[in-house]
Amino acid sequence: MNPGMKLLLVMIIALEISFTQSLTVNIILIGVSLIYILLQRVHMKALFGLLFWPLFPALGLFVSQWLYGSAGIHFAWILFTRIYAYVFLGATFTLTSSITDLSLTLEQDFRLPAKFAYGVLAAFNLMPKITEEIRIIKTSALMRGQALHFWSPKLYFKSILSSIQWSQNLAEAMTSHGFVEDQARTHYKVIRITAMDWILFVGLLVIVQALLYFLRY
Amino acid sequence: MDNKSQVSGGKKQSQWTLRNIILIALIAIFTGIIFWGAGFLYTALTVALTPIGMAPFANDLLMGLWCMAGPLTGFIIRTFGSAFLGEFLGAAVEVFLGGQWGAGAFISGLVQGIGSELGFALTGYKRYDWLGLNASIFTTVVITFAWDMIKNGYNKFGLPLLLALFITRYISTFIFGGVLTKMIVKLLDRSKAINL
Amino acid sequence: MTDVSINHFTFHYPESDVKVLNDINLTFKSHHFSLLSGPSGSGKSTLLYFIAGLYPRFIGIDATGSIKFGDTDIKDIPRSKVSQSVAMMFQNPNQQFAMDTVIHEMTFVLENLRLEPATMDDIITRALDFCGIKQLRGRVINTLSGGEKQRVALACIVAMDPQVIVLDEPFASIDPDSRADLIDKLKILQEKHGKTIILADHDLTSYRDLIDEFYYLDPDSHHISLLDDEQAEHFFKNFESTQTINKQVPIPSGDANAIIHLSDFKLAPHGTDLLTLGNFHFYKQKTTLITGANGIGKSTLFNALTKLLPYDGTITFDGKDIKKIRPLPYAKNVTLLFQDAENQFLNITVKEEIDLSLTNRTNTDYTQEDVDDMLKQLDMDGKDDRIVYSLSEGQKKKLQIIEMLIMNPPVLLMDEPFKGLDYRSLETVVGFLNRAKSQFYQTQIVISHQLSGLDELVDYHATFKDQNLAYQEVIK
Ligand SMILES: Nc1ncnc2c1ncn2[C@@H]1O[C@H](COP(=O)(O)OP(=O)(O)OP(=O)(O)O)[C@@H](O)[C@H]1O
Ligand SMILES: Nc1ncnc2c1ncn2[C@@H]1O[C@H](COP(=O)(O)OP(=O)(O)OP(=O)(O)O)[C@@H](O)[C@H]1O
Ligand SMILES: [Mg+2]
Ligand SMILES: [Mg+2]
Repeated sequence: MNPGMKLLLVMIIALEISFTQSLTVNIILIGVSLIYILLQRVHMKALFGLLFWPLFPALGLFVSQWLYGSAGIHFAWILFTRIYAYVFLGATFTLTSSITDLSLTLEQDFRLPAKFAYGVLAAFNLMPKITEEIRIIKTSALMRGQALHFWSPKLYFKSILSSIQWSQNLAEAMTSHGFVEDQARTHYKVIRITAMDWILFVGLLVIVQALLYFLRY
Repeated sequence: MDNKSQVSGGKKQSQWTLRNIILIALIAIFTGIIFWGAGFLYTALTVALTPIGMAPFANDLLMGLWCMAGPLTGFIIRTFGSAFLGEFLGAAVEVFLGGQWGAGAFISGLVQGIGSELGFALTGYKRYDWLGLNASIFTTVVITFAWDMIKNGYNKFGLPLLLALFITRYISTFIFGGVLTKMIVKLLDRSKAINL
Repeated sequence: MTDVSINHFTFHYPESDVKVLNDINLTFKSHHFSLLSGPSGSGKSTLLYFIAGLYPRFIGIDATGSIKFGDTDIKDIPRSKVSQSVAMMFQNPNQQFAMDTVIHEMTFVLENLRLEPATMDDIITRALDFCGIKQLRGRVINTLSGGEKQRVALACIVAMDPQVIVLDEPFASIDPDSRADLIDKLKILQEKHGKTIILADHDLTSYRDLIDEFYYLDPDSHHISLLDDEQAEHFFKNFESTQTINKQVPIPSGDANAIIHLSDFKLAPHGTDLLTLGNFHFYKQKTTLITGANGIGKSTLFNALTKLLPYDGTITFDGKDIKKIRPLPYAKNVTLLFQDAENQFLNITVKEEIDLSLTNRTNTDYTQEDVDDMLKQLDMDGKDDRIVYSLSEGQKKKLQIIEMLIMNPPVLLMDEPFKGLDYRSLETVVGFLNRAKSQFYQTQIVISHQLSGLDELVDYHATFKDQNLAYQEVIK
């Protein structure tokens, strides 16, 4: 499915289940997403992470609602499954789509100005370097006798200085590579939203509406 | 290191230049990765608080941290939408790093982004001082709290608990989104790295 | 014929009181290979960014005078057409690609030029072929080495096919083989494809018989002059003499007096093996110089010694496994002077920086007078309120060295500490280091390409070659 449509669908459904209260639908969404993910052959380790880490917030919400909430154990279960529904819905997108394709379709089909699509993409592609840079900032501070933590203004200050320099370098390099803001470009890989995408998008959305309407428990 | 670039032309010129877009995204990713490193803290707090049913406090205690990218980018690129974009992208980073929120982080990012943007909007993108910052803190707390009433079932809690959570969140947002942001902006200001 | 002519070109940064470029008049001839040299901070990059059409747009301050391609002022070329005239290759291989993979980046470039998609595959294949990197086509850019990234950058430019190619110290971070190879490619581009090449560099290796013109930017007059053969020869000779010294040093052995010990050590943080060592010692209260080709892994070794990157085997400091020493105490004992001075700064003004070191140091061996005296000797006195980020590269380096000396760690690692320092400052710094060694028992390990002036300092010399590190008797 077109990554833009997929992201939109995931976000709409996630938004909807935040407002509605159906345990059954949450479980169905988890199940369907899980099957979809499994069909795409993901690593067991990734799958384990998906199951394990959300356990903490989910359990936390569950217990507090159970002890202090006025809506009983059923509602606590809804909150519990809601967390997992978010996670698995999100995973159907993140584990199976590339950010590059997302940018391409946002530019070509969703009429997002190219400078946003490629500017943000270029920044995301630097993610490994950013992790490295944060480590360098922390280590060099240690060598001057200061430990920087996530609450230290200087850690952010140094990060922002790097961001300023890097954004300048990247923008210059992209410009030198022929990129001109607000100018039409050709497209080697044309990503279209196909009839099939629309059918899937609308179809799945309708099904979720129907489920939410009929399965109130 | 000089930020007068591109911006200095006519006053009318849009701030949404390629460079500024990349800058917002980079700041969002840097902060996103720093918070992600602090993710263990959330898990640890949750584990500690779950047996007494107080786990939502973990959420509210750290809320300010998660809502920092917005005020920061809003302060650095002073134009409509920059706080929103920074906050939203900051949350999106967590999704791609495989945070424990999944699609929830996208939605939280949207809500928090609207929250911090609204404050700057209320002051007409003119007050880049304590007032503007406090407006942003206020709208962030109100909007995200309203959202958690729905999403995390806060509306089913009794009034005392609700009040305690709200105050916790306000303090957290004030400290991280307010005091810490102000300190960072002051450093930037003094270093002349950016023409504030 | 599109000569690049610079006419009455004057530029000055508002923060500085001098004009970096003062009434420059010269013509880079079409189809020629021009080399522009000059000391660090003389204004080479500034000029090249203007020629490439990136300034004034990205700096917001305009210059007076004009730059013309043939008869057309660069300002009159529509923005969408600039990249047909000129493209630039940058010094830093890291932030010059927007996309994730090589093929995506090259496609992105051609899309920007609004080429027909059907023609792209061909152009890309030919450009990759020309640069000898067909096999990198599908690779993720983040996993490439510096030299490979620079080849990809060149391939992008070849695909774009601009008239003029501007390069700003493009080989600063890559190994000699890649460097020689890339220079060859540039020569072919000039001779066979009629490109105009304008290249800035202060490392003069391998340009001697290859360039058509040698321009020199004089840092005092802020003028650029075209050198005649004799003058050029003088520069090349001078440069070579700074690359060698001739000194005999002893080869140490045994573990008496050793302070850092590497055993069964293997360094391969990015997949390829960089260094394998059965046993290696660094010695207490000595200065060990490490030399080796660009990209061989010297900085990476320092990163392992400071726990920034993973390694196999064991490193001990003072008999303790460094993995068992907590980060803060370890960082105060084995300290790295980072290659990029800005990395080391945590405050805003010069005084705050010095004060931070005075507050956090582990011992008080240096008195306030010592500090004032060091500042004075390096011309850094009276700059208390200067913003550190606005200092020149050389000044940043000097401040960084002083503040790390004040910290006075038992082991000081230094990665290219003399880069950007003039000869007099270098001698002064060598004096400071000798004092730290003899009076405060400091152990120093230095990576340096620049060797002249270090005779007095170096006790041992280890060369990094063929994935091995071995002590040598001579330094040259
Ligand atoms: N944004 C800026 N604001 C103020 N001064 C600057 C700025 N950028 C550069 N300078 C100063 O202008 C001078 C010329 O800088 P430039 O980078 O062009 O030198 P360079 O010859 O390329 O040096 P290097 O060989 O070190 O790259 C330097 O003294 C530098 O400190
Ligand atoms: N993140 C990375 N991913 C892959 N390869 C890398 C990465 N960082 C460095 N390298 C490669 O590791 C090798 C060692 O690099 P290093 O910086 O240690 O060299 P060096 O000896 O310090 O060179 P120089 O004299 O130029 O400073 C180089 O070939 C470099 O391209
Ligand atoms: Mg330069
Ligand atoms: Mg190095």
